[in-house]
Amino acid sequence: MAKTYDCLFKLLLIGDSGVGKTSILFRFSEDAFNISFISTIGIDFKIRTIDLDGKKVKLQIWDTAGQERFRTITTAYYRGSMGIMLVYDVTNEKSFENIKNWIRNIEENASADVEKMILGNKCDLDAKRQVSKERGEQLAVEYQIKFVETSAKDSLNVEYAFYTLARDIKAKMEKKQEASNPPGGRSGAHQLKANEQQRKPTSWLSRCSVL
Amino acid sequence: MSSSSVEEIPEMCKDLFTQDGVLLKMSNGRPNNDPNAVGMLCLVENPNGTKSIEWRPNDLITIDSDTQDQEWAVVNTIGRRQRTLSGNMTSDYASARARIIRIPLEELKFFRSSRDNIQIQFSSKQGVWQHTFHCQHGNAEAFIANLRNHVITAKTRRNRNTYMVVETNAEAQVLNKSFAELDIFSENTTDVVWNLVSNFTERPYATTMEAFSKLTDIVYYGNEVTHERRHREQPTPEDISDLTNALDENRIETRKSDEYEVVTIESILPPRPHIHRNSPLSTEKWDGLRDSEGRITEVDGVKQLIFRGGIAHTIRGVVWKYLLDYYPWNITYSGIKNLTKKKTQEYYSMKLQWRSMTAGQESRFSEYRDRKSLVEKDVNRTDRTHPFFAGDNNHNLVVLQDILMTYVMYNFDLGYVQGMSDILAPLLMLLVNEVDTFWCFVGFMEKISTNFDMDQAGMKQQLVNLQQLLTFTCPELAKHLDSKDSGNMYFCFRWLLVWFKREFSYPDIMRLWEVLWTGLPCRNFHLLICVAILDDQKDLLISKDYGFTEILKHVNELSMCLDIDRILSTAEGIYHQTISAPHLSDNIRLILGIPTVSRPDGEYPEPEQNTEAQNGTQTDGNVKSDEADLEEVMYQIGLDMNF
Repeated sequence: MAKTYDCLFKLLLIGDSGVGKTSILFRFSEDAFNISFISTIGIDFKIRTIDLDGKKVKLQIWDTAGQERFRTITTAYYRGSMGIMLVYDVTNEKSFENIKNWIRNIEENASADVEKMILGNKCDLDAKRQVSKERGEQLAVEYQIKFVETSAKDSLNVEYAFYTLARDIKAKMEKKQEASNPPGGRSGAHQLKANEQQRKPTSWLSRCSVL
Repeated sequence: MSSSSVEEIPEMCKDLFTQDGVLLKMSNGRPNNDPNAVGMLCLVENPNGTKSIEWRPNDLITIDSDTQDQEWAVVNTIGRRQRTLSGNMTSDYASARARIIRIPLEELKFFRSSRDNIQIQFSSKQGVWQHTFHCQHGNAEAFIANLRNHVITAKTRRNRNTYMVVETNAEAQVLNKSFAELDIFSENTTDVVWNLVSNFTERPYATTMEAFSKLTDIVYYGNEVTHERRHREQPTPEDISDLTNALDENRIETRKSDEYEVVTIESILPPRPHIHRNSPLSTEKWDGLRDSEGRITEVDGVKQLIFRGGIAHTIRGVVWKYLLDYYPWNITYSGIKNLTKKKTQEYYSMKLQWRSMTAGQESRFSEYRDRKSLVEKDVNRTDRTHPFFAGDNNHNLVVLQDILMTYVMYNFDLGYVQGMSDILAPLLMLLVNEVDTFWCFVGFMEKISTNFDMDQAGMKQQLVNLQQLLTFTCPELAKHLDSKDSGNMYFCFRWLLVWFKREFSYPDIMRLWEVLWTGLPCRNFHLLICVAILDDQKDLLISKDYGFTEILKHVNELSMCLDIDRILSTAEGIYHQTISAPHLSDNIRLILGIPTVSRPDGEYPEPEQNTEAQNGTQTDGNVKSDEADLEEVMYQIGLDMNF
């Protein structure tokens, strides 16, 4: 099978039941919204390939069941994730409070350097809002995680969120590559700078994936 | 894999066997009420090759999925134990880690299980049981059986369930033992093995064949009776069974050479019978089966009919009430009236409990609030594309919600778990009546309550059992899945959790459920449904060399593309293949609830008679009565280990 992408990132959506994980994913992968979604049982994933600074990055995004009880099963899929979207519902205080638990869950089950982002979903439902944007921002600062309010229904910030997370992962990989290929090392090794990487075919992308 | 942090891993123990839902008991013998004392009992292999029994509290458990595709090679995977050293370790985690209990196998002297298979105890010196564990699912025998693959044991005279460890590290010694004790070589065993090894380099093929043929003879014909039985033309099924069990291989091939006869034994199943599905149980038949007062006396017969063909839609609603234990089979027409009245009152009093809750009460009752919020969320996304639940302000959604909320009051501990609304929706659509639907739902939940365990131990056990069934019936697929890190069968999670509700249309799921509710032809028939579906997909999954992600995707996408009648007859065909397989193992028997083999043994005469077990395959999901058989099997496994 011909490889149709340069790089594959595995991402994961987690958060309480009903916060809109599947809707966010559906918006991003199909650019659609369906009011009558069904709850996710077990696990599923969707694929979308995006263009990031001239490279085709295939995002494999895993969607999990939110209920606490299924965590022993869903955490099995944390491993190998490079980026995690923590989703809460701005109309549901509890789902916001639980973000801390989800972060703890990540710390226990995902690799330590996984990129994270907090999404406050359903921001179109302003009348029902229970969590202000400021509180979301504050939490994000506390954990030093990027934050954005989204609406899967109105297609607000969903694209932005996934692109941002993907970019952060890419940047982290480049940095790591830089560290493992210090200047003056093996011949042929380049020290890469962010603005150089498009000109360097032997950049981090060569490590990125097989297929 | 480029993982700079992997070098921090202090130790990588390998889990050889794990069993969920195991409670640590306090020394006074009573189960520990601390929920943190629920955990997982494991057999682990230490980096130095020694083994230990390990109990881990649940808050420590992470699932080993090892799900990495090559695609994800760049990812820094994290070792399960690595986190114990990492800087961001939480204090909870540390304290949980400290609560791990380890018993090195070298120190293990005795172990035993209780007769009801609930309790396991370990001891490292005579007279004291230092560690007691409580298996919530009554499956202590599974752990004991596995443990006995790793140690060589002898039974104690006093108690049939107590084992004394004779030697640890069984595998290392079994080979040696099997050569030495069988006395198949006239020379010193060690020398023979050494010669065998050195001969490999010179004439590998012949050496291998020679060694294996000797071993095959022994396994076939037994040590003592080698000479008299050597000339038998055909091995008996028992011989084949022994051979396959003993060598624990799916396929043994001995090719023809000048000196040796050809023996090709694949542990393949007998041919699959083609099973014809019958027509559904009709109104006429059903009415004819009731006596003048409305009782059903031929319960087994009715169940057989339903198993064979399902139920005609016109009488489905009535018959379901019996199948789901709302109506007892022997209830009369007048009895139904009384029962309905009583159950209606009971239902509405429970409903009133939550309906009368004030906003103030609710605000101070977070556990109730959480359950209510979960129910509301799921009701609003249950089968909304089906006309019965479609549209805004649909009254059926209100009923769905009311039943689920009343169920929360009926079983507050279980509460609401995702998947329940899926289970309930077809019941409501068929029965319409709120009270009837509720009690039928209660009956259905009774059958599958372990699916919703807090620790998901019931689900995990089913996935393990499914894997074992698949390995037995479809080894090449099992092998493929295993090679793609899918041996944990997690991709079947949705099938099992809601009994295939998401995979079939309403008419089909109704047919499947009523067939499964009969409990025929064996326990865990729903796992054989999984096997049947997978068997159907086997060629595709293997030929396309599907990996971890493709397998999951493919299985998820089978939804609404499956032929229920075909699957039911395939599953039944596989059932017949399985039970008539000469190498049917006791492990598979246990899963299917079939009486296990008890072989007469002069040395250990067994007084316990087992009339029920001899009566064939009618088990109806109850193997408790076959306890003596089970013990016998456990004992037999021990004998097999010692050859």
